Amino acid sequence: MSEHSAPALKSADDPAFMLPASLAALRLPLCVGGLFVMLLGWWLASGVGSDDLSEVEAAHIGANFGMSVYLTAAVYCMTIVLGSLFFVLIQHLVRAGWSIVVRRIAELVMVMVIPMGILFIPIIGSLWMGDGTLYRWDNAQYAAEHGFPEAVWTEKIRWLNQEWFTARTVGYFAVWTMLALFFFKNSVRQDQTGEKAITDKMQYWSGPAVMLFAATTTFAAFDWVMSLAPMWFSTMFGVYLFAGSILGAHCLLAVASYVLQKTGAMRDEVTVEHYHDLGKLIFGFVFFWTYISFSQYLLIWYGNIPEETEWFYVRQVGTWGGVALALIFFHWMLPFVGTMSRHVRRKPGLVCAWGAYLLVMHYVDVYFMIMPSVEEGSAGGLVGVIASILCVVGMASLLTGLVLGLAQQNKVVAVRDPRLGESIAFENI
Amino acid sequence: MSEKKEKTVHGVIAEYTSVDTLMAACRRVRDAGYEKTDAFTPFPVHGIDKALGIKPTILPWIVLGAGLTGTATAMAMQIWMNAIDYPYIISGKPFISLPAFMPVAFELTVLFSSFGAFFGMWALNGLPKFSNPVFTDPRFDRVTDDRFFLYIDSKDEQFQRADVEKILGDTETDYVQTVVEDESSDKVPKPFFMMWGLVAGLSIIPLLVVLKMRVSHSSQPRFHVFYDMDFSPAKEAQQYSTLFRDGRAMRPDVAGTVARGEMQADVDFMTGIDMSALTAIDQPRAERLVRRFNPLYQSDAPPAQEAKSEAGTQAGKSDDGDGPQDAKVDVADEDASENKPVQPAAEPSAAEPSAAEPSAAEPSAAEPSAAEPSAAEPSDGEPSDGEPSIMDTTPWLDKNPLVLDEKTLANGRKNFGIYCSVCHGMSGYGNGLVNERARKIVAQTWVQPSSLHQDTLYADKYPDGKLFSTISNGVRKMAGYSGQIKTRDRWAIVAYVRALQLSQNASIDQIDEAQREGILKEQADAKKVLKEKAAAEAAKTKAAEAAKDAA
Repeated sequence: MSEHSAPALKSADDPAFMLPASLAALRLPLCVGGLFVMLLGWWLASGVGSDDLSEVEAAHIGANFGMSVYLTAAVYCMTIVLGSLFFVLIQHLVRAGWSIVVRRIAELVMVMVIPMGILFIPIIGSLWMGDGTLYRWDNAQYAAEHGFPEAVWTEKIRWLNQEWFTARTVGYFAVWTMLALFFFKNSVRQDQTGEKAITDKMQYWSGPAVMLFAATTTFAAFDWVMSLAPMWFSTMFGVYLFAGSILGAHCLLAVASYVLQKTGAMRDEVTVEHYHDLGKLIFGFVFFWTYISFSQYLLIWYGNIPEETEWFYVRQVGTWGGVALALIFFHWMLPFVGTMSRHVRRKPGLVCAWGAYLLVMHYVDVYFMIMPSVEEGSAGGLVGVIASILCVVGMASLLTGLVLGLAQQNKVVAVRDPRLGESIAFENI
Repeated sequence: MSEKKEKTVHGVIAEYTSVDTLMAACRRVRDAGYEKTDAFTPFPVHGIDKALGIKPTILPWIVLGAGLTGTATAMAMQIWMNAIDYPYIISGKPFISLPAFMPVAFELTVLFSSFGAFFGMWALNGLPKFSNPVFTDPRFDRVTDDRFFLYIDSKDEQFQRADVEKILGDTETDYVQTVVEDESSDKVPKPFFMMWGLVAGLSIIPLLVVLKMRVSHSSQPRFHVFYDMDFSPAKEAQQYSTLFRDGRAMRPDVAGTVARGEMQADVDFMTGIDMSALTAIDQPRAERLVRRFNPLYQSDAPPAQEAKSEAGTQAGKSDDGDGPQDAKVDVADEDASENKPVQPAAEPSAAEPSAAEPSAAEPSAAEPSAAEPSAAEPSDGEPSDGEPSIMDTTPWLDKNPLVLDEKTLANGRKNFGIYCSVCHGMSGYGNGLVNERARKIVAQTWVQPSSLHQDTLYADKYPDGKLFSTISNGVRKMAGYSGQIKTRDRWAIVAYVRALQLSQNASIDQIDEAQREGILKEQADAKKVLKEKAAAEAAKTKAAEAAKDAA
């Protein structure tokens, strides 16, 4: 009922701004266990192969499947890390006041772009060590086997070759690491000094940063995911992946805030108003994802040109058709209706539940983008699905452990941000 | 006297200088139980609805309802337009094609939701409202600048002027005032009426111009409001186009393809000929027909002789693309006539009314076409006068392949009315309007259309398949209609012609017992009417004659 009473800011050393000990204790188990589970999933997936194939072929299919499962997990984690990076950038860009209490969580997550860079080494390695193990364009015979026109393929190969692909990936990570570290270090420095100039500096650079981000994520989506079907192209693909990415980031913020509050941190700082805003943004981005993915589908479906429909064709028949329908119903309709009401958005527990649910659905979406492009086009049966889940749960746990480690060395709230008070007092009309 | 009169009190208003004092007052008034209250501020104040105890609005539900109405409207509109009222295949998609309807559904949902939000807000707030009693207070003007006001309406259940003034006076305010009726004139100023009159007058002008144009003539060319709609760059049938090498604007089907919904591989159905029987007696001709009508047919290796015969037929015949070449009978075709090796003497007879009998005209007409392939196809035998016409030797289908139900006959009647009746007449006696006109102007080249009611044209002598073939390919001066009437509709016409023939020769025994009485009665009535008419006519004539005689 204290609509406009000036908020009493706690001192920067208040335990409410520290990572609760119960969460800090999970660091090591999560890191070690996560790494183990991830490798177990990958190993299981690599064993997937048809019985009626020769050993060499089975090994090839297995390696292809294993790499695809690993890529799915990596892209899933990467989208959420990038979504968090974008969240920080856009809050600075629009000089948002409401979000300061939750911004630090996104800042902690975005630094995970560095471990993600290490986790991407096997993906680049598959290009140099193998021969079309993950990305089939890496195989010299691929075009001839599939009867692609020579002239088109020559042009494709100028972009899709292992040297240039590696250089680009390194470039993306360089840009993101630079952005993440710049915004993280400045924000952390402000925890000590409380300078307003730091906020101004971050706001000043957020514009160019957003442009760099947009260019790099678009091309990263083309390279890492779209090039799995090398003859297929969709200019909207970058936005499609980004739509899921920004949705995932907001969901993660809702879940993380809720968990932190339950374990004792920032109880007075994050209020129902912030969950309400996160809920609104989740609702909005659920529809944004739908809008973008449907727009991509509609144009291709309407044009009905074989070279464009290829990607959706395999995703529209059989089991994948079922997954496509599941995405429509459970990635759009259910959460769309579920998060529409103001009453839902103003219940932190419900916002957290929808966030967790959508994080799962986002994995289904990424799975739907990558796995049908596996050579066999199958999900590898039950073992394949279990292996995929193990792999992504392992990688996500590993990253969570690392985030917790980083959080323990820092604060979980930007404690001396000049507008922290404004954020705490924030109210929706 | 009027000054003494107590003015109507609408409520009480209090002025505040800050948000905090206003909020405190709001809470106090809310806690005292007042419900019909309102706060006025120069800018939106967070949390004021809670402080005033304003219940959550039902506007979201209105918006939801409006949005769903928008979705439903868009869907219903598109399904109705594209699948029911004007079924139209666009881009090869089904009539009801959900993905294609989505963008419009989305847009209408947004549009209706916005309308729902905007006008719903109006309705809930009682807008548009041009005046409010609080405007009578001169200090209220500062509400758009730096003052905050709290208002308690007299319609509130617990409104007691003294209580309200007291409770407001207890808050941090220097100014509490009753809001009274605005007694300034509510008459609309005269200039407004003049303006409205002027606008109404001006708006009539376009209507008057249109009305004048409707009843007057002009030597000026038409005024094109939408030039590109009047002169569309799209080509019409038979127009020339420079885009294609052959100059045709209308494109023929791509070789080896069939348009959607046009796939018709049943050659019997397409030609009216029993193909299995024809194969037994004349295989080359059967194969030519199959190749012509069945797009799926692929001969393993067409023998040279067949190809040659095809070329011969093509050269000898008109280049009309439709209809089986062999059955094409068209004595009016000049080119074909020139190529005919034997010119039978039957031609002049075509001009005579008696030539309406197909049996008289057909053998002569068919002979050349039977003779023609023989030029290239020696195996067909020498042409001789004794040889029967190909029209007689062809194994025509005896039975109409359509299901003969009311729908088929209605369809046949419709198409007969459109295409056949202009010459053959509505009842098929060969007395259609064109024929009547031709007789009136004594057209020299006119060939009397056949009456369909003659025993040579009945099903026993003239099988359904043959009738179908005649409709498709023409006879004497009658052109073939295969290019204009769909195959199914041509068969429906055949069925209707049979029904017409039956109708002119039916006996009462063929009618259902139940209906017989009614028909007999109708017949008796009709006869009576005719008789009366004839009697009246006779009487009239008689009277006229009598008058003449008298004169």
